[in-house]
Amino acid sequence: MNTNLKISNVTKIYPGCVANDNVSLEFNSGKIYALLGENGAGKSTLVKILSGVIIPDEGKIYLNENNLKLNSPLDAKKNDIGMVFQHFNLFETLSVFENLIIDSDEQRDSLREKIDTIMKKYNFSIDLDIPVLNLSAGQKQKVEIIRCLIRSPKVLIMDEPTSVLTEQETSELFLSLKKFSEEGILIIYITHKLKEVMQLCDEVAVMRRGKLVSVSEIKNENIESLANKMVGQNLKTIKKKKANTSSDQLIKITNLNFISEDPFETNLMDINFSVNRGECLGIAGISGNGQSELFQVLSGEIISEKNSIEFNNNYIGDLNPQERREYLMAFSPEDRLEQAAIPQMKIFENVALNNFKSSNFFNNGLINENKIKEHSKKIISDFNVNTDNIELKSQFLSGGNLQKLIIGRELITSPDLLICFNPTWGLDVGAINYIHETLIKINEQNKSIILISTDTDELLKLSDKISVIHKGKLSKIMNAEEVTSEKLGILMGGAN
Amino acid sequence: MIKIVKRDQPSRAIFFFTPVLAIFLTLVAGGLIFFILGFKPFEALKFFFIVPIADKYGFSELLLKATPLCLIAIGLSFCFKSNNWNIGAEGQLTFGAIVSGGVALIFYEQEGFYILPIVILAGAIGGMLYASIPAILKTYFNTNEILVSLMLVYVSKLILDYLVVGPWSNPEGFNFPETRQFSDSAKLPLLFEGLRIHAGIFLALAAVVISWFVFYKTYLGFQMKVSGFSLKTAKYAGYKGKKMIILVFLISGACAGLAGVGEITGPIGQLHREISPDYGFTAIIVAFLGRLHPVGIIFASLVVAITYLGAETAQIFMQIPKYTGQVFQGMILFFLLASDYLLFFKIKFIGSKK
Repeated sequence: MNTNLKISNVTKIYPGCVANDNVSLEFNSGKIYALLGENGAGKSTLVKILSGVIIPDEGKIYLNENNLKLNSPLDAKKNDIGMVFQHFNLFETLSVFENLIIDSDEQRDSLREKIDTIMKKYNFSIDLDIPVLNLSAGQKQKVEIIRCLIRSPKVLIMDEPTSVLTEQETSELFLSLKKFSEEGILIIYITHKLKEVMQLCDEVAVMRRGKLVSVSEIKNENIESLANKMVGQNLKTIKKKKANTSSDQLIKITNLNFISEDPFETNLMDINFSVNRGECLGIAGISGNGQSELFQVLSGEIISEKNSIEFNNNYIGDLNPQERREYLMAFSPEDRLEQAAIPQMKIFENVALNNFKSSNFFNNGLINENKIKEHSKKIISDFNVNTDNIELKSQFLSGGNLQKLIIGRELITSPDLLICFNPTWGLDVGAINYIHETLIKINEQNKSIILISTDTDELLKLSDKISVIHKGKLSKIMNAEEVTSEKLGILMGGAN
Repeated sequence: MIKIVKRDQPSRAIFFFTPVLAIFLTLVAGGLIFFILGFKPFEALKFFFIVPIADKYGFSELLLKATPLCLIAIGLSFCFKSNNWNIGAEGQLTFGAIVSGGVALIFYEQEGFYILPIVILAGAIGGMLYASIPAILKTYFNTNEILVSLMLVYVSKLILDYLVVGPWSNPEGFNFPETRQFSDSAKLPLLFEGLRIHAGIFLALAAVVISWFVFYKTYLGFQMKVSGFSLKTAKYAGYKGKKMIILVFLISGACAGLAGVGEITGPIGQLHREISPDYGFTAIIVAFLGRLHPVGIIFASLVVAITYLGAETAQIFMQIPKYTGQVFQGMILFFLLASDYLLFFKIKFIGSKK
């Protein structure tokens, strides 16, 4: 039987962010659909709406022409929509079978039979009576899939299913998904990995900043075209004037590795690069390829081997961020509201987060509030933060003003190197221009920048050299003049 | 029509109003419970909240109960402010009492001005040692401090049990589970003839002043505030997270240990099985009712202390179990958490469109 799922004009607004902006999409069984987009593009919100976890502000969902009222995950299950989340929802200490019967109202025996049939049919081999904690990530995912299959779903949604799988497990998963599809289950596959989309899917819908950007057939696309759609660049290349980069080396990273204990993080492998004074090194990549980890390693939130980072002829790999600041480094993290600043604290308190010793914010363990306030006023006027009240809680600053405050806080100590991560993410054009001008200006003052960004336009505009990070590895470092966005697109997709 | 709308910003007035609202709702619900039990609600509430503190003795008893609550809650606010969930203050109190009691027993037939300071110090150290266990396990082995600190409460109570029944029991005590009485030199001086209120109250007041200073005037207080809002930010700022976890646990353990000292060298004067009517747990309610603010905690400890006294009066005059006190403590916490909803949401009345 044919299944038709229709999303019609769905809008979901969060305070300060439109997660889904009037999205309409149609799916038909027999095909595997990819929903592609960067982190924060709105794809997770969309599938959470489909699975009843989030209720949309506007819009309707139709399954075979029936308007569905999805007010809870249970409603989605009743309407034959199954979903496997990125993070497993299993009870680790219960057995596989116990996990499977929890949300089923069938008899134990008949259910067991049913599970056995499903497992035989799809070649799953999992011992039903061992605790879930003994399973590998791939096996846990199979348990989640079986949990959906028990209800013989019409629609199966997979949210970033391969982020914790090995290559082997991934190809097994793809085989199963293709089989499900042949049997008439409509499959929606959410990912930001382009290669997988090319390998597995028939049609692809791309989302960016809450909006549906395009729907097309895979055979009309390639990795590079999809990458372009995802990051939304246009091909114009405005570049700054070529700075008189010296050959005076400021920072050198040698054989830096980071192995994470968290399966949702990316390992960094064999990172090597150097940046000269007055130079801006851009690091491109599709988000989730190790940018966040690289930023943390460079800022000292993650400590590495002492000799792996040489800065101004000092080895500083084992220092924490505060100690690194004393060597004249500064950091502007990606997450303005949860990391770079604390919205519930006042502006001047947020300024005190950068405790550069000679600013004298704290003397003998005591807060020197006058000093901090004096300093804050200077930042506000020097960096055009649009407020005159430093007692204001920073949650009342717009994103652009908050980012100016953060950049100002980091730059007012005249650091030799600024490391920033998506500095203009989510800002309006005016603020973006201001930040870009500021970054160009500090390059002109012979200070260096490492710019980690998912915005290709921004990178081409500001960088002197560019490298691409993919799966925790850096490509070779290229001169910005030699780079085109097409070339970046290919490297971002993982080709050599 | 009633609509619930998200607030743009939790207002400061509401922040201090909700604890008052919670107390009011507790009184209403308490009155209702008394009514269902067949008492006159107002009379019952009067027995519970007014009669116990109507005279000089009653007021001294109020301060006596509020002292440990305040002291422990101040200590706990160091932990809670910085995102560390120490809920084992009862265990730290007990262990502090054990160590200081042990020291007091060494001096049981001696007199001297030096004895009391040593006993007090021993209690603080005992509490710190005991609090360092969940802190070290958390920093070096990533264990959950809630579970560890809670479970250690029962361990310390069993250690106390063993000591007062076994090795430390009073040789002339006819096998009662208690130690010898401490010598007068190991006891906190009474403030007034005939009343039980003792010098321990000054420890609590000192803790209030010191904590206020630390929270609002020092770099440590600033770091605690940042860590409380966002551990990610604390890491980015480069604060030494592990050091701070251990420090706040030590402070909180010392306060709980001192509260234990206050009990055994104050009203009790010896070690026995029941040295604390769960002050360590109740202080968690006090800390939150007082909004983790030193002055707020003073008021909160007085309010909650009444429930202990009221429960005793109610038992005597109304023949209902003294555990009613715990019911009231539970209700305060419940209503506090419920009315905290108002911090983030406001209720709007909208005229219906018909």
